[in-house]
Amino acid sequence: MLREEIALQARSLRRSFGEIVALDSVDLSVPVGALYGLLGPDGAGKTTLLRILATLGNLDAGVAEVNGSNVTDFEREQRAAIGYMPQQFSLYPDLTVAENLRLFAALRGVSKTQRAQRQQLLLDMVGMTKFSERLAGNLSGGMKQKLMLISMLMHDPDLLILDEPTTGVDPLSRHEFWELLAQLHEVGKTILVATPYMEEAANCDEIAFIAAGKITKTGTPDQIVSDIPGFSYEIRAEDLFEVQYHLDSLEQVVTTAMTENALRVLVNAGTRTELAQELSGFKISDITQVPTDLETAFIYLAQQAKAATVDNDRHFQEVTK
Amino acid sequence: MSIRRTRLLIWKEFLQLRRDRLLGGLLIAMPILQLIFFGYVIAADISSLRTAIVDLDHSSVSRQVADGFANSEYFNIVAFPESESEVKPLLDRGEVRVVVVIPERTSYRLAQGKSADIGVIVDGSNSQVSQVAGAYATAVVAALNGFEPPASAPSLDARVRVQFNPKMEPVNTMIPGLIAVIMMLSLTAIMSMAVVRERESGVLERLFITPIRPGEYLIGKVTPYAALACVQMAIIALGGSLWFGVPFNGSLLLVLTGLLLFMLISIGLGLLISLVSRTRAQAIQSVLFIMLPSMVLSGFIFPIESMPEQISWVSYLLPLTHALIVMRGSFVKGAGWEAMGQPLLAMVAFAVVIFGFAVFATRKRMVV
Repeated sequence: MLREEIALQARSLRRSFGEIVALDSVDLSVPVGALYGLLGPDGAGKTTLLRILATLGNLDAGVAEVNGSNVTDFEREQRAAIGYMPQQFSLYPDLTVAENLRLFAALRGVSKTQRAQRQQLLLDMVGMTKFSERLAGNLSGGMKQKLMLISMLMHDPDLLILDEPTTGVDPLSRHEFWELLAQLHEVGKTILVATPYMEEAANCDEIAFIAAGKITKTGTPDQIVSDIPGFSYEIRAEDLFEVQYHLDSLEQVVTTAMTENALRVLVNAGTRTELAQELSGFKISDITQVPTDLETAFIYLAQQAKAATVDNDRHFQEVTK
Repeated sequence: MSIRRTRLLIWKEFLQLRRDRLLGGLLIAMPILQLIFFGYVIAADISSLRTAIVDLDHSSVSRQVADGFANSEYFNIVAFPESESEVKPLLDRGEVRVVVVIPERTSYRLAQGKSADIGVIVDGSNSQVSQVAGAYATAVVAALNGFEPPASAPSLDARVRVQFNPKMEPVNTMIPGLIAVIMMLSLTAIMSMAVVRERESGVLERLFITPIRPGEYLIGKVTPYAALACVQMAIIALGGSLWFGVPFNGSLLLVLTGLLLFMLISIGLGLLISLVSRTRAQAIQSVLFIMLPSMVLSGFIFPIESMPEQISWVSYLLPLTHALIVMRGSFVKGAGWEAMGQPLLAMVAFAVVIFGFAVFATRKRMVV
């Protein structure tokens, strides 16, 4: 069997800042051509991992490879293969859209004719042609992110690393942004994208779930959901918040999450009837068993990771006593 | 080193500078305003002290002393009383603020190789005037002597030497010094902001993942501001010469060498500050931390000789001190390479150390 080609790889990666362990023996491998999601709550270590893979961050131990080359002895020229989009808006606000695109492409050595072609193509792709003479600082939040994306694409890298590209962007722009990523995925780019949003991660071929510096789960969105133990129910009732409050106090309840008009609950044991009995004191209109969704999976995984850290801390305290 | 990339970075920097109209305007307005402040206001404030001269000696020496005061900007000779008894009513009525008494036998004593006293009576009713007048009278006589001024004003030792500079105007020392001060103010402050701003916004990191080299980045960053600093220097030098009549007696090459060295130092300081500062607030504080002692201790406003010894050694740790020595010494007095060797060497050392550290720090940041 042919081994899949790996674009990005991390093995037993470790990085700490003072006493804070940002990455704790992280293993990750992103195949060539994949749309790979790095999912995790704030402070999980996503940025640290992405920066290392983009050859921008230091690592304490372990190995990180890009296209088979170790990042620690990466040549400046080899970086041309990587497009990195940091979370922060990092273009010159006092240069126009076109000037920003020109500068960063020209610094990468893209020829003048190629630059003009790509600039036109990319501005068209994101629907920003008529804004090309606008100062980047005067763009809306969504447009800024699109500009960041296309400025990264001007030198046509095969590998795109994006750090929470849609955080703080309105839902419509977010949707558009992911459609752009899908287009890039279709033409064969390898994409590693960090996101704190579950519904975004669902667009990926594969997801790695990271929390407290550890990757606790990898797989396709479907695999991740189906691996979550327990049963999910959707509850409709008059006083949903009181129901949630009650459920949170029960031992068999793993997580609860409020959706638009219902309460989702993940229990590790018990049938629908038992749950109904437990809630007999409330005005319940409906309890339906549903397949576990990604949102619930996210909360479950985050809680598991948190519990593990707490155990570790306790263990650490006992050992050091 | 790629010339194409360096040119791109310079283009970018000029573009940004052009967009920032306020900054550009300030950078041009600053030297003009400072020229007015230091060249005009400070000098004019004490230029018209009404003075009486009592010449009891009636000799060529006494006339030299009288001319010395008459030629100084601070004293306006309004009366020549014949005897000391006429002095008190003049002071009482406030018609004069300063009286200079040249005693009998002054030239005789000097001819004998002895020292002679010149009396300076100052109207004490305004303490500020009396202090300033006393100090300047001392300076005038010291200039006649070619000696350092003694500590106390009213009784003066006046052993006259022939060699002296009758026009000891403050503008002549202020304006050459101002060129160095403005360069430090604008270059250090702006350089520190320019880099830390890119760093705060993450653009710096974005630049560093492109193939650009530390040297290219530095040259790109520095060139526009160095050009601007040259414009500022030209404004002050031309304004000083044409408007305030500051004479240029020195070697142009020497002055430019001194300025170039000091430019490197100022830029290097700014870069260093920006490289150790994480935020703009930190950078501003660091700039102030360097600027304030530089302004006060470098001799720009207060002479180093008048500082307590415990503090004056700090002055020589400030690059500005040496730049001022070169500017004042060479610009007006026409001092040559030999006389300026020591301060120039000190500046070379500062430039090498500071700029070297800045390049090293940039390189280190970029490699990460």
